[in-house]
Amino acid sequence: MDNAGYTSLTRQSGLIREMQAVANNIANMSTTGFRREQVVFTEYVQALGGGHASISMGAPRAGFAPEVQGALTGTGRPLDLAIEGEGFFRIATPDGDMLTRAGAFVRSPDGEVLTPDGMPLLDGGGAPVFVPPDAADIAVASDGTLSADGAALAQIGLWQPVDTIQIERRAGARFALAAEPVPAFEGAGRIVQGFLEASNVSPVAEIARMIEVQRAYELGQGFLDKEDERMRGFIRSFGR
Amino acid sequence: MKALQIAATGMKAQQVRVEVISNNLANMSTTGYNARRAEFSDLHYQQIARAGTVNTTDGAVLPAGVQLGLGVRSAAVTVALQQGSLRETGGDLDLAIEGGGYLEVQMPSGISAYTRDGGLQRSPDGQIVTADGLALVPDITIPGDARSIAINAQGEVYGYFDDQVEAELLGRITLSGFANSSGLEAIGSNLFLETAASGPPFIADPGTDGVGTLRQGYLEESSVDAVREVTELIEAQRGYELNAKVITAADQMLGATTQIR
Repeated sequence: MDNAGYTSLTRQSGLIREMQAVANNIANMSTTGFRREQVVFTEYVQALGGGHASISMGAPRAGFAPEVQGALTGTGRPLDLAIEGEGFFRIATPDGDMLTRAGAFVRSPDGEVLTPDGMPLLDGGGAPVFVPPDAADIAVASDGTLSADGAALAQIGLWQPVDTIQIERRAGARFALAAEPVPAFEGAGRIVQGFLEASNVSPVAEIARMIEVQRAYELGQGFLDKEDERMRGFIRSFGR
Repeated sequence: MKALQIAATGMKAQQVRVEVISNNLANMSTTGYNARRAEFSDLHYQQIARAGTVNTTDGAVLPAGVQLGLGVRSAAVTVALQQGSLRETGGDLDLAIEGGGYLEVQMPSGISAYTRDGGLQRSPDGQIVTADGLALVPDITIPGDARSIAINAQGEVYGYFDDQVEAELLGRITLSGFANSSGLEAIGSNLFLETAASGPPFIADPGTDGVGTLRQGYLEESSVDAVREVTELIEAQRGYELNAKVITAADQMLGATTQIR
């Protein structure tokens, strides 16, 4: 069995995946509410038996999205909402309710508060948020109370997942959950009106990681090259 | 190697951002112009290893999955509807709207368009028209012998004549409001058209229903903040370069692969 070849192959294919994650993070450095994705390499140990040492293969088998707050950028639009602290907005989509921190909302002609692609924002009780079409002056307080022309209309809810494991990332900086989310703890996060939360990707860290991945990959290729030469030499010497 | 395509989507997104910024900067002196901003959204994710998958015979689940994204796309270009600062011009038909409403004008095709550019003119036959010659709705005609005209905050147009002391009410300018003004379709020349997203206009007298009031002798300046745009431009340019670097790195990795015999 060509253990050396297989071990470095596992490493190489894992590095290509990590490169994909880095490329995706950099591509999304300007995506509102985006959370950077990081892959984690885990060991897969195989015992060889017969007094030999066991071999270990490293493959990316886990990932996580670090919950680091992205910078808040002022936009001045009344329905641009950022969350400072913990919690997510809950939106209704055809694939079920999802959580997001991308808070750029618009009003539909009927007064619904929607994401730019038309998914309704839900309030603290899970019902869509409505604003009368002729309301002129919309204010959102830090606890999510939405008022128009001085009258309170709705309470935008902050939510959090029950199970932090079974979260699936979806397009639009959204997270799909296996179980219903629950309201976030009182005071865990506050809503800031007229601001958007920028992507939490740090370009410097990503580029540094990218160089690391690239060099590790080249190292692995060099190793495969040497292994190839070694086997050729073996065949040359003993194959006559 | 998907990193190549992913970085390409990133470069494209940053390019859209530069285009939006350059249009904003080009319009930093356009009356009534509102700055646009490009919004981005991530693309679909490949679920390489699903979180929560049962991993061992004793029922332990994978604590976190591997989800690899496929890049970015531009989701929307939003308009930040902000009141621009008012510039005094002294022109008797220069109107600034203080509030969220629009002036309605009649297009040559007969449909209505909406504008916040209140630099109005008088046509040869006394009609109030925009700088492009589109008539205001409702139609107001100023008699040729009017000495001066006055427009108050509520949109009433008064004419002063040599042969009478009292001012004569010539008509009333109304304003149109929209449920979702950022859903209007911009067609250039400071004009907007109603869309399904903006909803139908509600027509109101200035000073009612939140459409705002008029101010004669002023024009609304562009709300583009040059400092902010230039900062964004730097970010967009560096973002573009970072994505290009990813392409180079991915290419070199591919190069290393092809060197193995």
